Amino acid sequence: MIITWAAGLIRRRSGRLAATALGIALAVALAAALGSFLTASKSTMTARAARSVAVDWQVEVQAGTDPATVLRSVRTSPGVRTALPVGFARTSGFQARAGGSVQSTGPGTALGMPDGYSSAFPQEIRQLTGTPAGVELAQQTAANLHAAPGDTVTITLPGAPETRVKVDGVVDLPQADSLFQKVGAPPQSQPTAPPDNVILLPAAAFSRLTGAAGATAVTTQIHVARNARLPSDPAAAYTAVTGAAHNLEVRSAGGALVGDNIGAALGAAREDALYAQILFLFLGAPGVTLAALLTAAVAGSGADRRRGEQALLRTRGLAPRKVGTLAVIEALLIGTAGGLLGLGLAAVAGRAAFGTASFGATATSAALWSGTAFALGLAVALLVVLVPAIRDLRAATVAQARRSVGRRDRSPLWMRYGLDIVMLAGSLLVFRASSGNNYALVLAPEGVASISVSYWAFLGPGLLWLGSALVLWRLTAFALRHGRGLLTRLARPLTGTLAGTAAAGINRRRRPLARSVVLFALALSFAASTATFNATYRQQAEADAQLTNGADVTVTEPPGAATGPEGASALAAVSGVHHVEPIQHRFAYVGSDLQDLYGVRPTSVGSVTALQDAYFAGDTAHDLMAALKARPDSLLVSAETVRDFQLAPGDLINLRLPYARTGALRTVPFHFAGVVKEFPTAPKDSFLVANAAYVAKSTGSAAVGAFLVDTGGTHQKQVGDRLRSQLGTTATVTDITRTRNAVGSSLTSVDLSGLTRIELFFAVLLAAGAGGIVLVLGLAERRRTFAITTVLGAGRRQVRGLMLSEAAVTAAGGLLGGALIGWALSQMLVKVLTGVFDPPPSAVAVPWAYLALTGGVALAAIASAALGSARSFSRPAVEELREL
Amino acid sequence: MTSADVLVDARDAARTYGRGPTAVVAVHGATFQVRAGDRTAVVGPSGSGKSTLLHLLAGLERPSGGRVSWPGLDTPSAESAPIHQIGVVFQGPSLIPALDVVENTALPLVLAGVPEGQAQRRAQASLHDLGIAGLARRLPEELSGGQAQRVAIARVLTQSPRLVLADEPSGHLDRATADHVIDVLISAVDMLGAALVVTTHDHAVARRLAIRREMHEGRLIAPHGTQGPQS
Repeated sequence: MIITWAAGLIRRRSGRLAATALGIALAVALAAALGSFLTASKSTMTARAARSVAVDWQVEVQAGTDPATVLRSVRTSPGVRTALPVGFARTSGFQARAGGSVQSTGPGTALGMPDGYSSAFPQEIRQLTGTPAGVELAQQTAANLHAAPGDTVTITLPGAPETRVKVDGVVDLPQADSLFQKVGAPPQSQPTAPPDNVILLPAAAFSRLTGAAGATAVTTQIHVARNARLPSDPAAAYTAVTGAAHNLEVRSAGGALVGDNIGAALGAAREDALYAQILFLFLGAPGVTLAALLTAAVAGSGADRRRGEQALLRTRGLAPRKVGTLAVIEALLIGTAGGLLGLGLAAVAGRAAFGTASFGATATSAALWSGTAFALGLAVALLVVLVPAIRDLRAATVAQARRSVGRRDRSPLWMRYGLDIVMLAGSLLVFRASSGNNYALVLAPEGVASISVSYWAFLGPGLLWLGSALVLWRLTAFALRHGRGLLTRLARPLTGTLAGTAAAGINRRRRPLARSVVLFALALSFAASTATFNATYRQQAEADAQLTNGADVTVTEPPGAATGPEGASALAAVSGVHHVEPIQHRFAYVGSDLQDLYGVRPTSVGSVTALQDAYFAGDTAHDLMAALKARPDSLLVSAETVRDFQLAPGDLINLRLPYARTGALRTVPFHFAGVVKEFPTAPKDSFLVANAAYVAKSTGSAAVGAFLVDTGGTHQKQVGDRLRSQLGTTATVTDITRTRNAVGSSLTSVDLSGLTRIELFFAVLLAAGAGGIVLVLGLAERRRTFAITTVLGAGRRQVRGLMLSEAAVTAAGGLLGGALIGWALSQMLVKVLTGVFDPPPSAVAVPWAYLALTGGVALAAIASAALGSARSFSRPAVEELREL
Repeated sequence: MTSADVLVDARDAARTYGRGPTAVVAVHGATFQVRAGDRTAVVGPSGSGKSTLLHLLAGLERPSGGRVSWPGLDTPSAESAPIHQIGVVFQGPSLIPALDVVENTALPLVLAGVPEGQAQRRAQASLHDLGIAGLARRLPEELSGGQAQRVAIARVLTQSPRLVLADEPSGHLDRATADHVIDVLISAVDMLGAALVVTTHDHAVARRLAIRREMHEGRLIAPHGTQGPQS
């Protein structure tokens, strides 16, 4: 009996079974793909975090402990590849003679670098000019001293005689913050900025310099590169690394403190991993839910027929239990077919998008996720086939079951109790609570191994999604019930004299139609919100890259170069360059604090780089640039400076700037005009922005620090290469494509773009499925109705008109509802997930092209479903009637 | 009697389903005429080909052999059936579930291009004539089997056809309801002055009609009744 039934199902109901299995396949594929990708993504986060660190550990030798003993101990620790000692000495200051004048600096730091340091830790030091492996000046120190390779610098250590050294080169220290960290101190006690003045000496020269100094002025750090295999999960890797660091400290019995740079990077990565997990849930769960709903709708479209068949079996004497067993067989058949198809689909999607069927995850992880997704598919199949069958068996008598429908004017329970409104109100409340200023979605306390997510915040978008879907259901049902006159008028172009009949049919079928509209709208809103979130993330990642790099391509002049703004014309002549904008870079004293000063041309700086309002506080970018133009002595300062100096708008600020001809510092008056938080090419800490013309006039020099090059947003790499070959070593050229890969401190664009690539692919499928499959099955289930209509004299055009009018209702309601829900959901997602964005967005980015594509594909699916169904009635109606 | 009195004329009409060894012959070359005013019953057991014959006469199916024509009816072309002049009552449920009784009854007129309001007025009149005006605003799901068949007959009445073909119109009804439905059908046909062909396996129903033709295994086997058709 069971085999006969199963064979009959496959033979006679293959279309409905296949469509239901397809819905399950989508749910399984999405879950398997996202799960495998998440695992792979976490693993790459660990690898990237480890790669980003220049020195894994900075082990500081404590006073009274022999550095050689600690070095031996470190070198014998498990997982250590290289360990080299670095000396740190505090200096009273440096002096240099340049152009007939003597330049002096404040206190600084001298480092004693061992042989082979640069090759062991290549990311720590970047050579700008001169030769490596000698006496090297940090870039800012060279600028302060007006020193260049070949010049002599005098170093003064407290309690020691002056030492003169000849400068071999100028270097940049990209990871100065961690290099000059206060080892063992909590983050809040760390220095706000690295020292302004740094000199790097070979180990022997450093020993000579510090030989006469007191022990308190000199410390030794052992810089360590590790090669221990890290667990792929960032949280596990963090635990392993911090455990090893603590072990080393314990073994040194207080003789060494570990500055755990790799632990800090992994700590940030584990936070990113948790964000990835959140995104997986926020963006992935609706997709899987939608696929399950689609499956339920597909299965539900055959519910009347199944109820009739079930009733027939019972009248023929089959026990309810056996009828239930047949439903289990159907569910398993659909679940297995859908599951296998889904895993295949996931593998194909993985191979197409990432070149690997497992999305880069290990075989075990991929198998685990595949198994979980397959089980999910089976569960969905049981839920959509078995549960309704059992409910019918329990609730209905045979006679009731054979009656497919009846006049059900009573609204569903949720509608009568206003569950939709309650959900929306709940969503708003949760959203207000979870988008407050002090709310942290991911809580990762410093130094604590465990991190937590506030899953409470999920409720906001979740309730919005469900609540707005139910509201749409309510509104659609209301409109179809009470808008019959309007429906008649709207249906007339498609159905002619049948418009009233078409409207009557739509009016009575308002429930299944409302369900189709809601499903279609949810699919579209899923696509819209995911795509908008992704576009906003990309917009902000681009803004981050632009902030770091300055523009599409940036040409940075070496310290001390005197190239003026006229240098822009040579760069503008290079092929692919649209516009070149010079930016001055000086160092200025605000009181005793040395800060970077950027001189800009307020009218044109915005044409090469995106100045977002979020970069400023209290005023828009446009207004502040207008202020710089209107009053050239205006100055934009950081919020920290405003706080430190208690500044109010219009206040006088005297900056001390080096005068070009003498090199001596000269006081230049400025007026406080506004607060700047971020600025292209500027560092993260305090800096100043002023009018370039005023700075040039006040300092006697129009020397440019960097040229921002606009390439029109394309071919940045190629233009960068051309400029590099033209300029040689006279300037440093950076392009945004390289910077884009280097930044991405939190969730890198690689991870999110992968996640959204999977989602956007499935979103299109779901939208097409929700629009097309549900409609085509709904129409197929009413083949008898259309066959009778044909027998009664309906022409092919009239039948097509009836079908198209239903399709039009689904399409119009779904598009409108989907757009509204998608918009609301995008706004909420971007707000709730603010922590993912760096910098936070001032407005969401709408990917119109993708949305148009999705809408177009979905509409095409609906139109094809209606026209295809109409075409299938080309066979004689009586044949249809005989088969039904 | 002139040829114009012959509403439908089947000459050696045959219908075969499928091809090759699995082909099933539902109707072997049947020759059959229906004249204006005829009351004909085609009697036979299930599977004898009655419904297929009726579909051939209605023009709902094309014959695989022989030909069917409608000399007494206005046909758009020699090949096409005069669908709006033939009323068909089906065996099973044949009402559109999403339309109420009036809308169902008016549907053939609306499909023929009659304005909706006018079609509904004529539908109301038909329902009234058959004594079921009270069912006008009900949905098909709210009707009993007998009521649904009466509405199907009212739909035919509204159409004002010259030929009514009824396929087992009381096949799934109890005796009393079946009798009532046949009464309604005959009275409707009388009102229209149309010819009637009823297929049935029920000899009691067949006896109520003047002409009886028997069908067995796809063949019309012998004429019965007062008018002697030809085989």
